[in-house]
Amino acid sequence: MDGSNILEIRDVGKAFPGVVALKGVSFDIKRNTVHCIVGENGAGKSTFIKILTGVHERSSGEITLDGKPFAPTRVRDAMAAGISVLYQELNVVDELTIAGNLTLGQEAHSFGFPKQDTAILEKAAGILASFDESISMDTLVGSLSVAQKQVVEITKALCSDCAVLVMDEPTASLSLGETRKLFDTVARLKASGVTIIFISHKLDEIFENGDYITIFRDGEMIETRSLEGLERSDLVRMMLGKVVVNDYVPSPAIQTETALEVRNATTRKLRNVSFDLQKGEILGFYGLVGAGKTEVCEILYGHPCAGEIRVKGKATRLDDVRKSLKAGLALVPEERREAGIFGLLGIRQNIPLMNMANVKSHGLVRRAEENRLADHYIDALSIAARDREHQVSLLSGGNQQKVVIAKCLNRDSDIILMDEPTRGVDVGAKQEIHDIIRELAGQGKSIIVFTSELQEVVQLCDRIALMYDGALRQIVQNGPDLDTDHIMKLVAGEEIEA
Amino acid sequence: MRWNVDRIKHLLQTETQKAVLIGTLIVMMIGLSLATPSFLSVTNFTNVFLKVAVIVIIASAANLLMVTGHFDLSVGSVLAFSGILHAYLCKHGVPIEMSMLITCIVAMGWGGINAMTVAVLGINPVIATVGVLFIARGFAFLVARWDGGANIMTGLPMEFVDFGRELVFGIFPLAIVMMVAALALFLFIEKRTEIGRFAYAIGANLQAAKLSGINTVGIIALLYVIVALFAGLSGILQTSRVGLAAPNVAKGLEFDVIVAIILGGTAMTGGVGSTIGMLLGALVVGFASNGLILLGIPFYYQSIAYGVILIGSLMLNQRFTNPARA
Repeated sequence: MDGSNILEIRDVGKAFPGVVALKGVSFDIKRNTVHCIVGENGAGKSTFIKILTGVHERSSGEITLDGKPFAPTRVRDAMAAGISVLYQELNVVDELTIAGNLTLGQEAHSFGFPKQDTAILEKAAGILASFDESISMDTLVGSLSVAQKQVVEITKALCSDCAVLVMDEPTASLSLGETRKLFDTVARLKASGVTIIFISHKLDEIFENGDYITIFRDGEMIETRSLEGLERSDLVRMMLGKVVVNDYVPSPAIQTETALEVRNATTRKLRNVSFDLQKGEILGFYGLVGAGKTEVCEILYGHPCAGEIRVKGKATRLDDVRKSLKAGLALVPEERREAGIFGLLGIRQNIPLMNMANVKSHGLVRRAEENRLADHYIDALSIAARDREHQVSLLSGGNQQKVVIAKCLNRDSDIILMDEPTRGVDVGAKQEIHDIIRELAGQGKSIIVFTSELQEVVQLCDRIALMYDGALRQIVQNGPDLDTDHIMKLVAGEEIEA
Repeated sequence: MRWNVDRIKHLLQTETQKAVLIGTLIVMMIGLSLATPSFLSVTNFTNVFLKVAVIVIIASAANLLMVTGHFDLSVGSVLAFSGILHAYLCKHGVPIEMSMLITCIVAMGWGGINAMTVAVLGINPVIATVGVLFIARGFAFLVARWDGGANIMTGLPMEFVDFGRELVFGIFPLAIVMMVAALALFLFIEKRTEIGRFAYAIGANLQAAKLSGINTVGIIALLYVIVALFAGLSGILQTSRVGLAAPNVAKGLEFDVIVAIILGGTAMTGGVGSTIGMLLGALVVGFASNGLILLGIPFYYQSIAYGVILIGSLMLNQRFTNPARA
């Protein structure tokens, strides 16, 4: 490390129509270091990387690379300047050999026919061998493992003399052993003088590999500093920001009757997750991105797992959506547009779809019943719509979510799973949705809320299950003496004294 | 609801496509009756309706299938095969009623293959149903060959044609009665049954339909089987009416069916559409081609007009069915 800056970023901003994704960030990246970038979804790190690699053009600000102004308008510009990316989705051609992949797009031509450029190939073979001597240049890329394909991509980047390599969640699809290998590669790259920008949601990896870290939040750069001496919980606090206001009111109707028991649920992502859910209770699952919240929701709604699940004391398998529904569970899914609403249909047609029995008599659908049901929920959840035929895709996000909730309520399930119930809805609608959830609990329904917003769990949930890296670390009781520092430590993976 | 200006305005806004189709029909009818004296005759109208009937019978079921976002390109071949099979069985001593039953079951078998490949295995319907298009057509020729010729026309029992030429209540040709029955059945399914509601839900958002516990595979499969059954029935009907079974009939029928459906406002991607719209679409196509023939316009212009109608109807769909469709 000679201590000079390879990249200097000054007031770089990016505005999309209607959204400011990046609000003028400034920081330096030192030469020959592993520089980590962290932030929750929507913090602006992807936008920043896309600007750096020429996918997006910045709206404002300056970047200097090696002391020279740098303004890529295409991916090729960035590559020519020495910035390459190892994307999550690998850009290799399975049908070609490694040699073919490495020379793709740089073939020398003679009379229009490509010919092998031996100089490039020799250089590439040398680089490849320095990472993994066991792979030959003539191997078909399709026969390699994901980790080996990454090595091919890295080799390709080094062939074009890359000085900065961006790794975008490189371990997302790697096994444990492969991850170790990748970390060796990172160390070797650093030793050979490459600067690495490392993006990951996994804090362990950041602390293991990184030298410096930049924290993004809500489109702003919060801090850039050395990783040395940084506490995990401080890091998480900076990522999440916001002072949490605790105005939690306990659910009035919590009973000692157990609605759901999960014992030692294990999948590829989850390890021995066990918890109980009481009747009339709101249980929150909280953790950083990738901690395993979604997976817990999935094993309760259509995905298989090892371990035991009991619904109202009865052992039940919930590996099929219809089994879950029959057992008395219903889901308000995370992706509202993709999995929740029937956008082309009206509110009237959306609401009964989870439970047609309420609009049928003698086996036939009664329009009058559909109308009655729609009017009931439009009124009860105050859905702002022209009328019950209003096409759902034309409603606002909050009102769409209310339609999804209405569809779910019409099922009259005892256990309601809500995955990110207020994502992408405005503040007013958020409050209303929270009120609906509390009211449901008051009626004796059991509710599990999966959320990546600390404010939401703290405000809404009676107990909070804290996830880190596929494990449920602790279930804490909400109340006036709730310790948010303790929560941050747990979701950051810090060790705590028992 | 009372009929008043507001209600008519609202209907015109929401049902623009149907209004356009009805307008087109009226203009065509007036134009053709002025242009050719033979247009406004019972014989001509019967002919148009007999031709339209086959399309509408199959399209009633295929329309709801397309509402789920799926389609079937094998109907023409299944129709031809069913006609041949029915004639072959009757010629070789199987009682006519029994032969009809067997033919219908075999036709449902073709639908079952489509259901298996598309609904269960998730193969793209263009590829999967075109596969059945070729296979069924091949078997149609094969069965004709077993009989020893290119067509089956001789040696059929005397009463073979009775079914196809029957007039219900002494005036209505059976094909037209069946058309009305198929329309009524699918109007009923569309408006009053769970299957109808689920079909729209599947077309609007397959993933959400699955998460809502809807048996998506079962409904798509059922519709494929009904479409094939209707194609089989149409095959029996057509063969009986003309008293001749030829393996090369109904080529391109699948496109007549799809044009009628799309022209009627059903989206190829599913979620929107109606049986009434499909009927109007089929009538526009039927009268347009009848008019072109009566006006003595050469077949190549007819082919061009047909293509223009197909593309035009898709553009019409995008314009009218859904302003919000991304």
